[in-house]
Amino acid sequence: MGGKVTCTLGEVKNRADFIVYWGGNPAECHPRHFTKYTLMQKSPFLPRGRKDRTMVLVDIRETKSAKASNIFLQVRPGKDFELITLLRAMIKDQPISEAQVAETGLTIEQLQDFVSRMKAAKYGVFFFGMGLSMTRGKHMNSAALLTLAAEMNAFTKFVAMPMRGHGNVTGADVIMRWQTGYPFGISFNRGYPRYNPGEFSTVDVLVRGDTDCAFIIGADPGATMPQPAIDHLAKVPTIVLDPHVTHTSKLARVHITTAPAGISAPGTAYRMDEIPLPLRPALKSPYPSDEEVVRRIKEALLEKPDWMGERPQMLQNQI
Amino acid sequence: MLRITGGTIYDPANGINGEVRDLYVEDGKFVSSFTGGRTIDATGLVIFPGGVDVHTHVAGGSINFARAMTPEDHRRTQAFIRSQTRRSGLGGMAPTTFATGYLYAGMGFTTVNEAAVPVLSARHTHEEMADIPIVDKSCLVLMANNEIMLDLLEAGEYERAKHIVAWHVWAAKAYGVKAVNPGGVAAWKWGKDANQLSEPVEGYKNTTPGSIVTSLAKIIDELGLPHPIHLHCNNLGAPGNITTTLETMKHLEGHRAHMAHLQYHAYGGDDWDTMKSESAQLAEYFNAHPNMTTDAGAVLFGDTVTITADGPWQHLLYKLTGRKWGNLDVENETGCGIVPYSYRPSNLVNAVQWATGLELLLLIDDPWRVFLSTDHPNGACFWRYPEIVQLLMCADFRKECMAGLPPEIMNRITLPEINREYTLYEIATIMSAGPARALGLQQKGNLGIGKDADMVIYHSDKDIARMFGHPRYVIKRGEIVIEEGDIRETPDGSEYLVKPSFDPGTDEFLRPLFEDRYCMSFENYPVEMERIERPDLQQCITTE
Ligand SMILES: [Zn+2]
Repeated sequence: MGGKVTCTLGEVKNRADFIVYWGGNPAECHPRHFTKYTLMQKSPFLPRGRKDRTMVLVDIRETKSAKASNIFLQVRPGKDFELITLLRAMIKDQPISEAQVAETGLTIEQLQDFVSRMKAAKYGVFFFGMGLSMTRGKHMNSAALLTLAAEMNAFTKFVAMPMRGHGNVTGADVIMRWQTGYPFGISFNRGYPRYNPGEFSTVDVLVRGDTDCAFIIGADPGATMPQPAIDHLAKVPTIVLDPHVTHTSKLARVHITTAPAGISAPGTAYRMDEIPLPLRPALKSPYPSDEEVVRRIKEALLEKPDWMGERPQMLQNQI
Repeated sequence: MLRITGGTIYDPANGINGEVRDLYVEDGKFVSSFTGGRTIDATGLVIFPGGVDVHTHVAGGSINFARAMTPEDHRRTQAFIRSQTRRSGLGGMAPTTFATGYLYAGMGFTTVNEAAVPVLSARHTHEEMADIPIVDKSCLVLMANNEIMLDLLEAGEYERAKHIVAWHVWAAKAYGVKAVNPGGVAAWKWGKDANQLSEPVEGYKNTTPGSIVTSLAKIIDELGLPHPIHLHCNNLGAPGNITTTLETMKHLEGHRAHMAHLQYHAYGGDDWDTMKSESAQLAEYFNAHPNMTTDAGAVLFGDTVTITADGPWQHLLYKLTGRKWGNLDVENETGCGIVPYSYRPSNLVNAVQWATGLELLLLIDDPWRVFLSTDHPNGACFWRYPEIVQLLMCADFRKECMAGLPPEIMNRITLPEINREYTLYEIATIMSAGPARALGLQQKGNLGIGKDADMVIYHSDKDIARMFGHPRYVIKRGEIVIEEGDIRETPDGSEYLVKPSFDPGTDEFLRPLFEDRYCMSFENYPVEMERIERPDLQQCITTE
């Protein structure tokens, strides 16, 4: 059971009359979300715009986003999974206990009201943020919410979508998936893609000291990663491609200044709903694009003698 | 320069049925003769034109969504190991892009048509197609649920609707138009479906699925697109949907049409318990109406992941199987759904589906009008085509397989009564020459002088699945890409596009409508020509 039931942001803009932000603070983290997509827009289906929409915020504290919402549900920290599970039971009229409800920090009336509003909606959407996907339970929480959205489709139209971070994180995700089958945390050590977040994620590989070279494009792990990872970056030859000199550049062996994507380098960015948008550079840059640098490094590597040795073309079954 | 001597040639486009001839290739095309150059001795080997897949899902948002939903499958499937010049990849239910090229070429296919592209994410589809090596590609843009077009048809503005369709084909850099569940996907966005061909679509007064089908078929004929309307009928997969399918076919009289994956639209019965095959009735109608072509959408037993722009059907599957469900609604255009699925011989419904696909292939008498497909990955993964070839060529093998089905099935299918066995010539037709002709790709599926030198050379083998699964050579535009199962070269393929003409004022007409409905700026919507790697612009045609 479970899965992922989602839509593009235009569908939200045109149709969503019931919008739930769960574990996210769009008012501060995605400031244009309300005006561009979720609350303020009018459409042929929602002619009165904000008045035709209900917004619910589910979070552990009353953030600025609570002011924008019609209903604020303050869930007890670490109890998101329990709350979602109760809601899944309630929509199917399965019995729940008072103790279970009390554990979430909410009242049975609040839950009943929420359920009846979900069912009365014509088009409901859950946006979930780091507050859900990065706290206790992690991907179990996201999976539970995706399942609730899928199950709500027995009653009305419901979808769910993660609120992703800044930059083109979604784009990296999308491309890794078509090239390797996996979104991140991939090892090519055996000559083909293998996936194991927690083992092959950048931070784990660095902390264990498993790499003997690091190639960093458009990110600044030197500013955000734990100290042992940073120490390892300083120890091995690290190459940084970035329009700016970053913390990582300072500990790297090589920094190559590149043209900033979208400002002076063309390309494609993927929006959080995985819709691709073209980047049209407005300015010229004296620096090469990331793509050009990577291509030239790759060409130079091809000049080197074959270092890979004899290996089969294909494995019928992975080991 | 490459010369292939002594091979036994099956080239239906030129009426050549198993004759020994020499082939000469220069600059990627067949020529009449020359001296010198490399020679391949093909004595005793069988030569076909390279395979053409008229309906598959290999690139874009939906299949990439399916990849995200099936990490368990990636881990157990076959892995292609990188070399200095060749990228790595994974096979399985939803292969990665590089592996897709290797696997298609590995069984002798050199051209594929991606059957469903929403304009909004067409840029994504093209970026993925650029990462599929070896094969040439084309794609079809989804139109039948585009609300701007539906509104125009509702208002009786047919001419304007025609310009809108042409504009979208060019904006998406597509090769043709796919219509999925006309009116039904738009209704699904409200949790409803369009099941009756003559009932107005949710939200409209006059527009019915039937009227959408007729208008779109006419528009596409008038625009002269080389490939006709590519239609996924309403009521996919539902017991009793034969009525809808026949009704839809009647709405297409007088127009060219390609009926996608007909297997899923050929059922009788009232519910899952009484479901049965109506392939005989469907084939009879189809045989009498030469305006149509179809692909089988055959089912094979085993694991796969189903993915279609038919959200209502996917929700039904999810309810039936209780397995993972993915659904993606795209603003104003379409949606897509994804459910991992296992077809089991012990399951009566699955067994009927398996038989229905084969029955259609065997009961439709003109191999130029029915093509090999599994609607990859829906009915089975494309790399299992050789198993279908074996089922078509060996009646005894079919009987063996039928022995494993539940006995109750026998009064629900006609397969046991069919003794037809496909010849090699007919296989070459349904796998290459036929789909190439239906797509309007004159360079493909044809070993004649001046055509693209795409061909596959097989060992003659009694084990048909092995013969078609392991060609001796696969040659793409004169280059040996596969030799005895090894990948030799991975050249980049071309992408076929068409530019139907439309009123230059269409941009200004669309802009305000667009900005009202989409949250993307209008300028960002069309895919620029520079974004297509190796485009190959095809001419529109005149249809009477
Ligand atoms: Zn399909």
